[in-house]
Amino acid sequence: MSPATNTERSHKAQKVLERFDKKLSRQVVSSLVSCVHCGMCTDSCHYVLANPDDPSYAPAYKADRIRRIFKRHFDWTGRVAPWWVHARSVYTDDDLEELKDIVFGKCTNCRRCTINCPMGVDFATFNRMARGLLVSVGVMPEGVSVVSKDQWEIGNQMGVLKEDYIETLEWMAEELQMELNDPEATIPIDVPDCDIVYSINPREIKYDPRTIADAAKIFYAAGEHWTMPSEGWDMTNFGLFSGDDDLGGAVARRLYEKVSDLRGKTLVISECGHGYRSTRCEGPNWAKQDINDFAMESSVSTMLRYIRDGRITVDKTRNTTPVTFHDSCNNARSCGFFEEPRELLNLVCSDFREMYPNRAENYCCTGGGGAMSMSEYTPRRLKSAKIKAEQLKATGAKIVVTSCHNCVDGLSDLIRHYNLDMKVTQLVNLVADALVIEPKAEAPEAAVPVATADGELAGYTILVADDEPDLVTFVSTLLEDHGATVIGASNGEEALSLARAHKPDLITLDITMPGMSGDEVFVALRKDPDLRGIKACIITGRPELRRLIYERPVTPPEGYIDKPVDEESILTNVKKILEVHHES
Amino acid sequence: MNETIRIGDTTVRLIKGDITDQEIEAFVYYARHNLALGSGFGTAITVRGGPDIQKELDTLGPIETTEVVVSNAGELKADKIIHAVGPRFQEVDLPAKLATTIRNCLSAAREHDISSLAFPPMGVGFYGVPLDLCARIMLATFQEVLRQSPGMREIVICANDSREYEPFRQLLQNFSTTKEYVQ
Repeated sequence: MSPATNTERSHKAQKVLERFDKKLSRQVVSSLVSCVHCGMCTDSCHYVLANPDDPSYAPAYKADRIRRIFKRHFDWTGRVAPWWVHARSVYTDDDLEELKDIVFGKCTNCRRCTINCPMGVDFATFNRMARGLLVSVGVMPEGVSVVSKDQWEIGNQMGVLKEDYIETLEWMAEELQMELNDPEATIPIDVPDCDIVYSINPREIKYDPRTIADAAKIFYAAGEHWTMPSEGWDMTNFGLFSGDDDLGGAVARRLYEKVSDLRGKTLVISECGHGYRSTRCEGPNWAKQDINDFAMESSVSTMLRYIRDGRITVDKTRNTTPVTFHDSCNNARSCGFFEEPRELLNLVCSDFREMYPNRAENYCCTGGGGAMSMSEYTPRRLKSAKIKAEQLKATGAKIVVTSCHNCVDGLSDLIRHYNLDMKVTQLVNLVADALVIEPKAEAPEAAVPVATADGELAGYTILVADDEPDLVTFVSTLLEDHGATVIGASNGEEALSLARAHKPDLITLDITMPGMSGDEVFVALRKDPDLRGIKACIITGRPELRRLIYERPVTPPEGYIDKPVDEESILTNVKKILEVHHES
Repeated sequence: MNETIRIGDTTVRLIKGDITDQEIEAFVYYARHNLALGSGFGTAITVRGGPDIQKELDTLGPIETTEVVVSNAGELKADKIIHAVGPRFQEVDLPAKLATTIRNCLSAAREHDISSLAFPPMGVGFYGVPLDLCARIMLATFQEVLRQSPGMREIVICANDSREYEPFRQLLQNFSTTKEYVQ
């Protein structure tokens, strides 16, 4: 099979057609030919439910945008009677842009339509294929481009450099030693012959290091012989989202090779839906590699095993706030991994409330499929989150637990957007909170790093920009109490002017301010040769932040804090950004 | 882990590592037309090298495909960076453009008295240049240029991982046109 040549076709369109042929596996072809347009998929899609009057969101309609190309070039029905089967080719770069809007902007590849299709049409699979075809000719959202390039070249999808990764692990180890009053509590790096090699999502390094500290605390309590790798540590895989199988294979291979080099017995994957699916299920195929010398499991299974085997003791009365559980699409629908987290939740929480529908029928957080990196579709994404918001609200829970970092971000955004009184957390946090650890006897006090209470920020000038006077006062007072010189600004223009006048070491920046937004101030700072060295910490309750993280017209901010803020999160982040360490 | 051959007076060495963190006179960065450093190695250059690099680049761009510019390397271990806009995403005449880009990198190195230069596998990975094609074109172009214009002391091919390393290793081992392998 080969596509018809057409001298009027654009070069990119021709290349897409040439590669289309190579992507036609039996699974893809069977899905492309078997749709009977019965409409069973329609009500299964969260985009349709939020946009009932717009048929362009229906899975069958979206699938037909890809199917008609297949019919035109690769299926006999389309060659014989193209008008009968609505066969149509792609000719121009505009055709490709239109396809991009559908495959990236109107589907999160959640696969809910797949399990509701009586014909077994797996739309997500060929939607991903179409993404890959577009990526191969450079047609993709800017955020997809940024994240893919980071993962190709730096080795992780958030561009975390090796020195920052190591430094964050050392910092978390230091915090752990203080908390446990045990200098032997540590986060081992590159230790060979361990029972567990622990891999993580770069989001944990960049924005949520507490999850690493909590996992380390659990390994400590279990007496585990474990390590983290210095390289090849990112278990996420943007190839799943971008459709780039080469990226999928390269990322998976780096991880597998590192575990083999360390002679680890089990690769444990921290809580991440697409990371789990990519690493454990899809990765060996992309990497064209059999994995025989080590096992792979989710950290949820590891934690559950520790409790079952009596290696850790937990007290569920420490987590009494009502919780519900959100199934990640990749975990539940694509990997059948949904009973283990519930069993674990019931062991560490006293008030677990099921969300309906659940397990493989659960609705997407709306941040899946790389949607969090595509800010041009944010309004669409948040509108489609209405069904998820209603699901969450109906549980009456105050905490939604999920085993996925993408879901953490997607749920956090929709909770803010729909003003729900909830917060998001992960199982590792709840297990760590429920841990019963006997105090270490006779710990040598002198060896334990001790933080200086006051004056840690002495010598630093920090500009606090926020249009809420109470927040400026709160943050300023806190930072001044720790020795910093603080300047306050109530709007974007003032913040930029004060930054030019005072050249602070750090600016904490609210995104939503009247006039010049924090987003605009941040980009202006980064583009100004005299100001671009000022470190920035975004403090926001709004999802516009995603643009700064994922599209990155400029160097990303050094940190961010979600509103509502608390003393601990502000101090922790500010000290990390300014690289203020505890004194031994 | 390294493989080494000689082409004329020049040592061509294959290593695995982070190209932005090498002790070398200069390295090549596969740049955008507008010379915005962007993500990937661009992030590493910005974070490790400091803001002055982008500041300098703002005065040098934009440039067309196959063109190169040379900037200082700020606080990086290297002294210079050669920013090269190579072909990408299956574009027209990709092999010829890739070879021209590599020639222009070597030419710029000569103009700036750079005698030790690191190349990434040009355009592979994100920009989709096939690895085998890249390896063949890079080595053939090195051979062509270095025999016409000797003077470069060392070229380092810096692979990011074993996937990138392996095709170059095989090609270097079978590099039959020169028999000047280093023992």
